[in-house]
Amino acid sequence: MAAGSDTVAHRSVRKRFLSADNAAGWTLVSPGAILIVLFGVLPVVMSLKLSFQQSDLLSPKTPWVGTDNYERLFDDPQFVDAIKNTIVYTVLYVPGTMVVGLLVAAALNRSIRFISVYRTAAYVTMAVSTISQGIIFLWLTDRDYGLVNAALGVVGIAPQPFLSSPSQALLVIVAMTIWGWTGFTVIVYLAALQGVPAELHEAAAIDGASAFTRFRTITVPLLGPANLFLLIWLTINALQLFDEVYQTTRGGPLKATTVIVYYLWNRAFVQFDAGYAAAMAYTLFAVIVVITALQFRLARRHVHDS
Amino acid sequence: MTHTAIPAVGTASGDPQPTHTGAAPLLRRVRLPFSPWHLVLIPTSFLLVVPLLWMLITSLQTPGEANKFPPDLVPEHPRWQNYPDAWDAAPFGHFFLNSLTVTTVVLISNLLVCSLAGYAFARIRFLGRGALFVVLMATLMVPFQVTMIPVFLIVKWFGDNIWEGLGIDHIGALMLPNLATAFGIFFLRQFFQTVPVELEEAARVDGTSRIGVMFKIILPLSMPALSTLAALTVLTSWNDFLWPLIVITSTDTMTVPLGMSYFQGAHTTQWPLLMAANVMSLLPMLLVFMVAQRYFVQSVASTGLKG
Amino acid sequence: MIRSCFSVVLAAVLAVLLAACGGGGGGDGAGGKTEVVVWHGYADAQGENFTALIDQYNREHPDVNVTQLVTNSDLVLQKVLTAVRGGTPPDVAYMFGSWSPNIAEIPQVVDMKDHVSQTGWDWDDFYPAERAAATVGDKVIGVPALVDNLAIVYNKTLFADAGVAPPTREWTWDDFRSAAAKLTDPAEGRYGFAIPADASEDTVWHYLPMLWEAGGDILNSDNTKAVFNSEAGARSLTTLQQMAVTDKSLYLDTTNSNGSKLMNSGKVAMMVTGPWDLSTFTDIDYGVQILPTYAGSDGGHQTISGPDNWVTFDNGDARRQAAVDFVKWITAPEQVKTTSLATGDLPTRSSVGHDRAFVDELDKKMPGTGVFVENLANVQKARPTVEQYPAISEALGQAVVSVMLGESEPAQALDAAAATADAALAEK
Repeated sequence: MAAGSDTVAHRSVRKRFLSADNAAGWTLVSPGAILIVLFGVLPVVMSLKLSFQQSDLLSPKTPWVGTDNYERLFDDPQFVDAIKNTIVYTVLYVPGTMVVGLLVAAALNRSIRFISVYRTAAYVTMAVSTISQGIIFLWLTDRDYGLVNAALGVVGIAPQPFLSSPSQALLVIVAMTIWGWTGFTVIVYLAALQGVPAELHEAAAIDGASAFTRFRTITVPLLGPANLFLLIWLTINALQLFDEVYQTTRGGPLKATTVIVYYLWNRAFVQFDAGYAAAMAYTLFAVIVVITALQFRLARRHVHDS
Repeated sequence: MTHTAIPAVGTASGDPQPTHTGAAPLLRRVRLPFSPWHLVLIPTSFLLVVPLLWMLITSLQTPGEANKFPPDLVPEHPRWQNYPDAWDAAPFGHFFLNSLTVTTVVLISNLLVCSLAGYAFARIRFLGRGALFVVLMATLMVPFQVTMIPVFLIVKWFGDNIWEGLGIDHIGALMLPNLATAFGIFFLRQFFQTVPVELEEAARVDGTSRIGVMFKIILPLSMPALSTLAALTVLTSWNDFLWPLIVITSTDTMTVPLGMSYFQGAHTTQWPLLMAANVMSLLPMLLVFMVAQRYFVQSVASTGLKG
Repeated sequence: MIRSCFSVVLAAVLAVLLAACGGGGGGDGAGGKTEVVVWHGYADAQGENFTALIDQYNREHPDVNVTQLVTNSDLVLQKVLTAVRGGTPPDVAYMFGSWSPNIAEIPQVVDMKDHVSQTGWDWDDFYPAERAAATVGDKVIGVPALVDNLAIVYNKTLFADAGVAPPTREWTWDDFRSAAAKLTDPAEGRYGFAIPADASEDTVWHYLPMLWEAGGDILNSDNTKAVFNSEAGARSLTTLQQMAVTDKSLYLDTTNSNGSKLMNSGKVAMMVTGPWDLSTFTDIDYGVQILPTYAGSDGGHQTISGPDNWVTFDNGDARRQAAVDFVKWITAPEQVKTTSLATGDLPTRSSVGHDRAFVDELDKKMPGTGVFVENLANVQKARPTVEQYPAISEALGQAVVSVMLGESEPAQALDAAAATADAALAEK
């Protein structure tokens, strides 16, 4: 949804216009840009240096090792496994959260009584710390004493190990994080749904369209910008998963839930191999940049087609 | 088909009463005294709120009760004393004040700075816009554990060379790296793009400056987005733990999340007190959200959009 | 709209100014006193005791001002790391013993070797394992702050109900295994034994005393090769395998959060744990016994201890000396006694540990602690303080958990772990 249209205009007028735009643009952008460059970009560049050193963050001896750290990555089977786990996680979590969030937001987008209470309930999930979330899920999914297995037992299914099983643990983390982030997605979608004009719905309703059809053909397309935002933000988030793993499985059992950021944190602060961790972080960074760029490009094409 | 009149303060979809569209004719006869959506929303809200309920229950238990697995869900004698006990365990009054100060400043700064930048990215074509946006977005793609030491060094430099109040172990240091985020800019950029361009163009033809357009047209129409960003910023800032952990070195300057450490020993955690403190920490944020909710609803009538 | 925005911004700027003036940091001493800043993770009874001790010290030494910062003990390392890089370390910090080899690399850390050899310190009064955990090469990087060890804690009621004789000093691991099997009742959801199974150092240090009792060792004498993949290693790991996989009497706490809770709920009959857990078993009638031995092995009774240290940093001559003096005082026998009685932690000094009257008093306050104090004599070996220990620990942890989960056999798992450990040892 780009601004304005770049129609044919006189070159001189265009030049003047553009430089007025340049001045305005840069003026408005500079406070934010300066702050973020100082406290966001500069640290990113500074830690790039670390990836070319061997460092334990403690001793002042940090010998330069060139690209050794990066080369080690390719021979590291644990890194490959971490990538696999992260990809599986992301592919399940991002669409899952968006769908659940959209459905809940649509349900919350009405003005019946107590609606503010229900909306607050969604907000509350984000305010609850990952510590508490972790404990609840650990209990709910416990093989011997958890409620989920109790419920499954009623239907005749054998108790599942869930977080104690190398094959199931990652899926449980997906479920846990979808639940934890639904609140965020709901809030964003709610804000976006406010921008869908009521008149469009009414006109369609008069024409006989069902609530579901109206939702599908009117609401969802107008959520474009919100969708793009959530897609990108949730993907970036997913690729950097750490807290929830730290609070529950600590990367286990048997490394089944070791995702990239958990692995690099372990290398830096438990194994004292910070240079290697930085190399990992930058590789991840490159991957995120590529994926995000692709997402933006696909979005632009999609918008142009419709 | 029944239809209520268009409310002056409109919501996008859904009316105060259930609309009957395309559903089986039978359902039309069944009129519940309340909206059927409650039947959906109550269990959904319950599921979402389960961690909070667990926190509340644990905060009323004795240490012995809290140390059981599977957990006892109904405390026999709710120990309300946990709340004053938690409050007294550390100077929480001071911590709350610190958190309040930091969060307020960070909130105002973000709303202001990110609005300016978000508008520029959304509507102004300036040289280098794309490249700058990419650079700013890049800051979201490196985990904080990796950048925290350079950020520490930069903030320390500010404290040593510009103003002490911004340096290590001062409140300013808690605010400084968070005064603007790429997240906020990206978020507002997306939402500002949905404001109809015609309104802006009309105003600009009338001679309004860019800033004027921003304050008079964009912001009023973006209240849902702004209040959402406000709620999210308050949340992130209030619950920030890792940055205050490494930058604060005296009890005077601690924030509420750091105060939780008082209940977490090396081997054992005092769950009831910790949860009581957590619940108390949640309350201001709930308050913020309840207030912000009033602005969530778009004021369609004020924009002259009809027709 | 703009006017109201301005007033809001103005208020914000004022807030910043006020806050900066008000909430200043620690730093310069008040009125010429030497500052000693202590970072620790003490909470609850330990915290109260420490605060009282600091107040006492400040009263008795008016030229010094000791202040404390309560921080999360797991994360104090990250905090110290950042502070060291930024040039603002504390004067004293409570650091886990397992970090010692890496702490030794920090230039600002005071080498206590020359200090503790002076009179008044009584360095040899500290238990040998503590001194080992504070010594890296020829440097002494800290002074013992805490010591503990592992022993069996069991539920007397569950034993009586099942008609099983409770653990004695003469028990072997076979006795332990059969008792655990008899106490397991799947219908009730009850297990005979529970172990942390998150593959962290917590898992490893539960396995190590078994390895040592079976006659094995972690590394060879010059710390260049892993030797835990021996017959003793396989034998001790097989015990765990039998309980976890064959008997199914062992609850695997794969997220390391439920063990003591299950014990307190009567769902687990025995745990191997330390004195810190005793205060959490409020709902059961528990007993404490030292670990069993391996029949036919000359390893005898052994256990493992996890000492932590007060580490001192050099922030200039005056502060350094004041910090060293404070650490000397806080680890002196009298303060050790006070702390132990107030918190239930074990005494770090053997002179205190051999004081019968003291031990009886301690045991009265927190029943079972007496056994832990005596068990300190069974701490014969310690984990090697080499930089690569975290890598060795990770390899061993994975091996132990994979065997307990039934995914591999002891000998193969240990061989694989030894290969990884050897590779790590060869690197540096």
